[in-house]
Amino acid sequence: MCLSTVYKNKLAPEMVMMKNVMRIECKDGMVILTDLMERQMAVEGTLEMANLVDGVAVIKEAAV
Amino acid sequence: MHVDHDHTGVPHEHSHEHAHTHEHTHDGVTHTHEHVHEHTHEHAHPHTHDHIHESGAEHTHSHGCEGACGSCQTQCEHTPKEELMALMKYMVGHNAAHAKELADLAAKLDQTGDHTAYEQVMAAVSDFEKGNMRLSVVLTSMEHE
Repeated sequence: MCLSTVYKNKLAPEMVMMKNVMRIECKDGMVILTDLMERQMAVEGTLEMANLVDGVAVIKEAAV
Repeated sequence: MHVDHDHTGVPHEHSHEHAHTHEHTHDGVTHTHEHVHEHTHEHAHPHTHDHIHESGAEHTHSHGCEGACGSCQTQCEHTPKEELMALMKYMVGHNAAHAKELADLAAKLDQTGDHTAYEQVMAAVSDFEKGNMRLSVVLTSMEHE
């Protein structure tokens, strides 16, 4: 329900991928993030964790 | 990275859901409920198409979103103020939803027989909504600047 901040690989300030994320979709090995302004970011990987109380999520990026 | 969408590039209409609130009174306590309704407006989606330039080289150009942010696959540029206003608009709606949840919680407390707690929570809901109303007024004033 609340907007979230999404991090890459670990929950650390320098790993913020996107703020004010309103939608996270996992599709075909991709995680697609959409923020409040409808900007989208797609990353190859998986959703590792989402804490909906704290409004944070961590995406585990697929190994290249 | 690319997110696939079907775009026609021509202006067209989609139906959208919008939330709004209005104030009313239950058991002497004034509060607001959020309502969702649909409306439509015409807009164009961003799209790309190929061009062959005089040099013979083929390029793909993307075209602007013309204000339609939905399904935008480009990184649209918004001013910091536009972003702040979008965030504020979201928060006003979000607060209204939380106020409704609290009012529902209060009603359940009343059902358990704790009428005092019900009244206290509803008073808090009323205060919460007054604050949200103030935010809403600020937002409206910013929108008309």
